Amino acid sequence: MTPAADPVYLDHAATTPVREEVFEAMKPFYGPRFGNPSSTHRWGREARAALDEARERVGRCLGARPDEICFTSGGTEGDNLAILGAWRALKAKGRTAVVTSPIEHKAILGAVHQTAREGAEERILAMTSAGVVDRQSFDELVDDAVAVCSTMWVNNEIGTIQPVPELAAKAKERGALFHTDAVQAFGKIPIDAQKQRFDFLTISGHKFGAPKGIGALFIRRGTSLEPLMHGGTQDRGRRPGTENVAAAVGLARAAELTLAECEAHCARLRKLRERLEAGILAKVPDAVVHGRGAERAPHIVNISVPGTDSESLLMALDLRGIAASGGSACQSGSISPSHVLSAIGVRPDLASAAVRMSLGSLTTDHCIDRVIEVFPALVAKARQLTAAE
Amino acid sequence: MGRERVLVAMSGGVDSSVAAALLVEQGYDVVGATMKLFCHGDDVPDRPCCSLDSVNDARRVCEQLGIPHYVLNLETKFGHDVVDNFVEEYARGRTPIPCVRCNTFTKFRDFLKKADSIDAQWIATGHYARVVDGKLRRGFDENKDQTYFLWGIDRAVLSRMILPVGTLDKAQTRARAHAMGLEVIAEKPESQEICFVPDGDYARILEQRLPADAPALSRGPIMTLSGKIVGEHNGFARYTIGQRRGVPGGFPHPMYVIGIRPHDRVVVIGTRDELLGSGVVAREVNWLAAPPSIGDRVSVRVRHRAPLAPAEIVRLDGEEIELALDEPVSAITPGQSMVLYEGDRVLGGGFIEASRGQRSSLPVLAA
Repeated sequence: MTPAADPVYLDHAATTPVREEVFEAMKPFYGPRFGNPSSTHRWGREARAALDEARERVGRCLGARPDEICFTSGGTEGDNLAILGAWRALKAKGRTAVVTSPIEHKAILGAVHQTAREGAEERILAMTSAGVVDRQSFDELVDDAVAVCSTMWVNNEIGTIQPVPELAAKAKERGALFHTDAVQAFGKIPIDAQKQRFDFLTISGHKFGAPKGIGALFIRRGTSLEPLMHGGTQDRGRRPGTENVAAAVGLARAAELTLAECEAHCARLRKLRERLEAGILAKVPDAVVHGRGAERAPHIVNISVPGTDSESLLMALDLRGIAASGGSACQSGSISPSHVLSAIGVRPDLASAAVRMSLGSLTTDHCIDRVIEVFPALVAKARQLTAAE
Repeated sequence: MGRERVLVAMSGGVDSSVAAALLVEQGYDVVGATMKLFCHGDDVPDRPCCSLDSVNDARRVCEQLGIPHYVLNLETKFGHDVVDNFVEEYARGRTPIPCVRCNTFTKFRDFLKKADSIDAQWIATGHYARVVDGKLRRGFDENKDQTYFLWGIDRAVLSRMILPVGTLDKAQTRARAHAMGLEVIAEKPESQEICFVPDGDYARILEQRLPADAPALSRGPIMTLSGKIVGEHNGFARYTIGQRRGVPGGFPHPMYVIGIRPHDRVVVIGTRDELLGSGVVAREVNWLAAPPSIGDRVSVRVRHRAPLAPAEIVRLDGEEIELALDEPVSAITPGQSMVLYEGDRVLGGGFIEASRGQRSSLPVLAA
């Protein structure tokens, strides 16, 4: 077999390349501006100025004040800090329950399970088959016993959009704190902390052109939160430890660039995705696009073809130079059927055939052409093998 | 056409790592894959096979060889084909041999399908055995030979198998690993135990999977051949033919388990002589050569690493076969494999169903 012609990267929901402008913006902090922002001397002040400025800039991107931005190591930390921090702060005030949806990222589900080990009553929202939180279930479960409720804005596997502003407002009426994991939403959905009533919001830099290991948690001013780590007073004690100045600067630059290009970028991705879906469905009419009945972010397609399995398809795609992904990969790298697809009622055989393709800056018309050519061919081959059994 | 693609089953051990490295050297388009066959959860420390550390070792070797590595989740199928059967066999008073079923169903069937899906014409493993002109032969290292576990595979698969270390002995394999710079795995210890029994305590797996009142795990009598009750056992599944541990003392000769009767939960014990069998019946027979005929002379192995025993085929009956052994053999155990050889070629094999007594008393020969 000849080596893959042109590699096609369709896994932007997993991670994105660091943008050139971002890399450039970070460089001085790996060089002459190496100071520790907590130091009182000139080197410290230079670093501190950059950090303060980065905080302001990230805040502006979210409609937040600088003190409402807490830099984290990424999505998992942001999610854990919000859920565990809010639960631990509020259980002292008599709030006994934590609410979330079954389609959350493992970072949320894991943190919520942890609150249950610490005595919380875990309440899981019902989903519609389209992949959206069932509003009646939300009304029933979010009552005045709830400490914190968390619903992701854009689902990382199927791209469906949750009505976060509406859910946040409802949660607030009942005195519960509201968190949203906006890791896949940033740059795809308008976010404005001044108008939308969430208390916490998580973003992760490497999903939009910043490096891995940097993210931010928006914490609305005045919100109770127990820190996860203990030590110094950095970030008002919410997140002790010497700040990653270079990465924070990179995050700010990436966030600004992303928002500036948001409209054009999303329109481009939407067009590419429509062509991808139509191209595959034309050749594989019984392919199932998950979450199609709901409003979706423009960069994610999750597709199952009956009679195939994602493990074999992903391996075959990769060997043709096409990078996609399956359900959630476990630590060993093996693929288990997606909890998201199970939660929205997808049949197990279809769930285990799911292939997620996520579009982004590297996606061109040519990439889509390749996938429309290769994917149906691999599917046909896989089905032949299944039929021969 | 470019290079031929081969999918290598990589456990993270030295044999399959060297197998992959040799194929890279030979110019194949090599793809490595580790099968995830079961999950111990987080609380079991690393084992030589299938654990996270093993996956990591396999990945490191592939990175070093510059080939792609995948993890294939075959947990459900392996659980059904191998682990469930393992438990059922013990529940029936037999001593299963899960590696045979893993080779038959998991490695050389399910894994082969993965090869099909990536257009790999070949599959390779680190088994000590050889395929020469479509014939399965013993590995050059008689100590390590693994053909005892390979008789059950579909004959058609032989033409797609490459077993690169079958012509090496273990020391040579380790030397090759060092020579090729695969220090990560070159001195890894051998995996001797059953991979899904993390600590060798197979009874615990049975306790987890069988009901608490399962006959196989319930008390029953220990008897001599004459029917005298001489003790009590705590579940016949804890016994295997030839075992001495858990057998009551006080006899003039050492006593061994010579039979397990699941219907009345009896464990039968006897002397070393009473452990001997002169004939063996096997079922689920599979041929890797043209099926032989009654009266054919073969070499047979009824236990891993046991010496080859000369024998004659006395009955062939669909999926069942009976052999008369020239000399009696000790501890012929239902559930284990019987493998037939002609020289170093594997003719086929089956799962042992029963042992027959001394040759003179075999009714089939008396007829």
